[in-house]
Amino acid sequence: MRRRGRWLVRRPRDLIGLSLVVLLVLTVLLGFLWTPHDPIAIDLAHPLQSPSPGHWLGTDQFGRDVLSRAMIGARISAGVAFETVVAAVVCGTVLGLLTGYLRGWTDRLIMMACDAALAFPPILLALALVAILGPSRDSVMLALSIAYVPVVTRVVRGSVLSIREAEYIQASILCGDSTPYTLWRHVLPNAVAPIVVLATSLFGWVVLYESALSFLGVGVPPPAPTWGNMLADSRPYMETASWLSIVPGLCIVATLLGVNLLGDALRDWLDPRER
Amino acid sequence: MLKYLAKRLLLTVPTLLLVAVIVFLLVRLVPGDPAQVMLGESADPATIAAMHHEMGLDRPLPVQFATWLSHVAVGNFGASIRTGEPVSSLIFSHFKVTATVVLVAMALATLIAICGGLIAAWRQHSALDLAILGAASLVMAVPSFWLGLILLLVLALKLGWFPVVGYVSFSEAGLQALWYLVLPIATLTITECGVLTRMMRASALEVLRLDYVTHARAKGLPERAVLARHVFPNAFAPTLTLVGLSLGHLLGGIAVIETVFTLPGLGRLLVDSILSRDYPVVQGCLLFTAVAYVVVNLIVDLCYPLFDPRVAAQ
Amino acid sequence: MPGVAATAGPTVLHVALNADILSTNPGVLRDENTDAVLLHVAEGLVAPRHDGSIAPMLARNWTVSADGRSYTFALRRGVTFHNGASMTSADVVWSLQRYLSPATHWRCLAEFTDRGIGRILDIAAPDSYTVKVTLDRPAPLFLSTLARPDCGQTAILQRASVGPDGRWRSPIGTGPFELAVWKHNQYIDLVRFPAYQAAAGLPDGDAGAKRALVDEVRFEIIPDGSAAVAALLRGSLDILDGIDPAELSLIRRDPRLRIEMSPTLDYYGVLFQTRDPLLKEPCLRRAIAATIDRAGLTKAITWNTAAADDSAVPVTSPYHGPVEALLSGPNLPQARRLLAACPYRGQAITLIANHRYPMMFDAAVLVQAMAAQAGVHLDIDTMDWASQLSHYLDGSYQAMVFAFSSKLDPALNFAQLIGSKSSDPRKVWDTPEAHALLAAAMANSDPAVRQLDFDRLTAALLRDVPAIVLFNSTRIAAARPNVKGFSEWPAGEPRYWNVALLH
Repeated sequence: MRRRGRWLVRRPRDLIGLSLVVLLVLTVLLGFLWTPHDPIAIDLAHPLQSPSPGHWLGTDQFGRDVLSRAMIGARISAGVAFETVVAAVVCGTVLGLLTGYLRGWTDRLIMMACDAALAFPPILLALALVAILGPSRDSVMLALSIAYVPVVTRVVRGSVLSIREAEYIQASILCGDSTPYTLWRHVLPNAVAPIVVLATSLFGWVVLYESALSFLGVGVPPPAPTWGNMLADSRPYMETASWLSIVPGLCIVATLLGVNLLGDALRDWLDPRER
Repeated sequence: MLKYLAKRLLLTVPTLLLVAVIVFLLVRLVPGDPAQVMLGESADPATIAAMHHEMGLDRPLPVQFATWLSHVAVGNFGASIRTGEPVSSLIFSHFKVTATVVLVAMALATLIAICGGLIAAWRQHSALDLAILGAASLVMAVPSFWLGLILLLVLALKLGWFPVVGYVSFSEAGLQALWYLVLPIATLTITECGVLTRMMRASALEVLRLDYVTHARAKGLPERAVLARHVFPNAFAPTLTLVGLSLGHLLGGIAVIETVFTLPGLGRLLVDSILSRDYPVVQGCLLFTAVAYVVVNLIVDLCYPLFDPRVAAQ
Repeated sequence: MPGVAATAGPTVLHVALNADILSTNPGVLRDENTDAVLLHVAEGLVAPRHDGSIAPMLARNWTVSADGRSYTFALRRGVTFHNGASMTSADVVWSLQRYLSPATHWRCLAEFTDRGIGRILDIAAPDSYTVKVTLDRPAPLFLSTLARPDCGQTAILQRASVGPDGRWRSPIGTGPFELAVWKHNQYIDLVRFPAYQAAAGLPDGDAGAKRALVDEVRFEIIPDGSAAVAALLRGSLDILDGIDPAELSLIRRDPRLRIEMSPTLDYYGVLFQTRDPLLKEPCLRRAIAATIDRAGLTKAITWNTAAADDSAVPVTSPYHGPVEALLSGPNLPQARRLLAACPYRGQAITLIANHRYPMMFDAAVLVQAMAAQAGVHLDIDTMDWASQLSHYLDGSYQAMVFAFSSKLDPALNFAQLIGSKSSDPRKVWDTPEAHALLAAAMANSDPAVRQLDFDRLTAALLRDVPAIVLFNSTRIAAARPNVKGFSEWPAGEPRYWNVALLH
């Protein structure tokens, strides 16, 4: 709506971010069509093979092809993160706008629920939810969403609290604009920058959190590879078969770096005051 | 001010009550129970039933909840089912470790974030900005346990600079205890400073565009004074919110880092007691972390007016 | 011991535990770590040898009455407790009676009731150094049960271990070490007991002469396996016991570390719920079993340290005869034939596993892949150990990877599987034939007859397939070069007596 002839990619930073994200998307798409090997096929005769022409990124402790697993892992890890972030941002933004703008009892009730949810260490939430619901991609996602909706809510509320004191908002209220209109037309656009920065950070947190859950043994169940459980399973071989840990580790780092840089580019691009 | 404080504290009571109910139900909805875990694979049903009775787990849930809540109300958190230790002393001894690591690391991370974020915003699009932002984005992208393991492998194992295990508390070993905490603090500082730096930079950029900064500059104020006196106080609020949120969570436990570095902290206590279904410890720990979280955020909210004059008008 | 030079400071042996102990109360509030620590502090009348047979410990010897119901123990003289009191038959009677009181919550109490191996009718002390125990029926497994580590080896304790109110205080035993400090979740210190009276005979298993050759043993609590390995490599630990085989390659990089291995008497396997609508068909269970390449699976999971086994009789047991030694291999054509004749149409079967024991998780991944080759669809359901245990105990599962801890007698291994599902839902094998064979193996005492019982049980297990036995694990430890005298053994609990630190 306010592209005004400006390009998203204007600096090398933006280009790096965009390329990393495009690479991720291409990997995910390619993974649907083709992988060098079956990512879950075991080959007990060839465990812990270092990278070779047959297995470009080597094999893991059960002889599974690391490259194929990393490709499929991209789909699952990024998918979990993307869906979680969308859910958390949508719910959190709506709640944050309402609570920050309306104040009063709405504010108090929503903030009470948020505080109660935030007061749980996320690890416990995940441990408990996964134990109750059974381990699956969905219970991991639910646990992560519940952990992050209140974070979004609080941050959005924080910036709305600042914005609503601004003159143009007061003016809009004085003109008799309806609350939804004011929220949509004036408050939301001005709260977008922190939301975008937060959403990209959230994406990173979710990927990291998924790997921490795998490390503690409650991640996405096997045989589905995720970067998190590949990294967690590589633990005993960190020194002796370092590629097992380096591959998923670098995948995570590269993806998050790309998403964060792209987030910065997006922030600048969306910023109405940026020239 | 005092009235506001009292009101805020009063408001946390229903939150905590809600937390208590959720905690109690959540812990008991999870399959498995402490008697089964303690007796293990070769326990027969009769022995388990006897142990249930001994632990009071055969009573109706509402009765168990009421009993627990009435004890908590007078400050009695009960005793661990597994070891019989009082929950309050367990929490206290583990919290000391976690709090040391978290507070030091967050203080360092905030300091790094303020300096890095202000400088990056001040010289937006410069090579320095690029470097700071790149570094912040990079450290945000590293899983903490991976970083911890790499630090452990390289600094402790290969180079032998730090001990690997064997944490001793301050009361036992004095400053030597700090030696065991360097790596966990470093890991936590590194993983936490990225997001704070980015937040600081983003909000400093907003402030730098405002008219009064231009005014200040036009008045001929040196750049350092502009940053310190005008930009920092007005840009710090969102970062502070984030510090509060992180702090609240981290105090509840840094289970992963505590596992990698073998620290007897609250996070490990919580995970261990969840895994062994030690209900009183889980409930006590969670209630404690909930209170810690609420208190930290109350403090952050009270600090808000200091940094954002627009909120002070309330 | 010559060659161990006394130096200025006390010698401290640093070892590791993967979790804190539960209590200091032997055989009551316990797990494997608790047993391992307390076996250094307290001793029972008898103790297991390396081969699983029973040797005297605080008893000098014993006699069994002709009807097999009475055991008369002659106690060693001159044994003192850690508080200086000397041990007499009164202490033995007091200790045994304490265990038999329901208020004590002794882990093994059920064994001495009607449901167990035999009810204890009487404990008498004819003189200060003689104790006579009478049971209601002949019980060939009486001594093995007393010596079980999870029963705390039925440790003989001094009365002052318990306060006047009956509450547990701390263990005042007769062992080579005394409990000095228990710093919860950090470490446990045991110190040498100077007045220890060693039993006669060479060290053998938990039996024979035990001597404290270091001033102090410190058990560091290190929950994370890799961190513990790092601590060993760094020199913060002298001995690391219970190493995950996956960590071996890293340990082997330091050639000075001495690796100790011993096959154990446990077994890993897949349990089936034979009341499940799908798995009640023996053809499906047999088909799954026919897909399993035990040798390949064992090699991959245990990094070539353990022996594949398809019988509940462990490979190192004296009863692992020619029948048990035959390893049934994978047979995919047969698996497909069995499936074709079976009312199975590719439905998903849930296989429960956990992350707490890495080998169970790895076994699940491999079993899943192997079964898939014949078209059996297994979904792995990873849960935490407590949840899995709960499913195991109430039988609410289709299939799960499980491990049974070391037992001193193969009959006890089969007893884990066999039982009435109605009264004890954790049992997986509930056929009249299995009940009869187990009862025979429990009651017979002639080794040749027992061997035949175990052969028949093994054959029936492979035919009925209520469970698929996969392998017996190997206990792995590594010690730094200055450690002398440490070895692993089949029963599993590490022994730090007779272990010295050289300089």
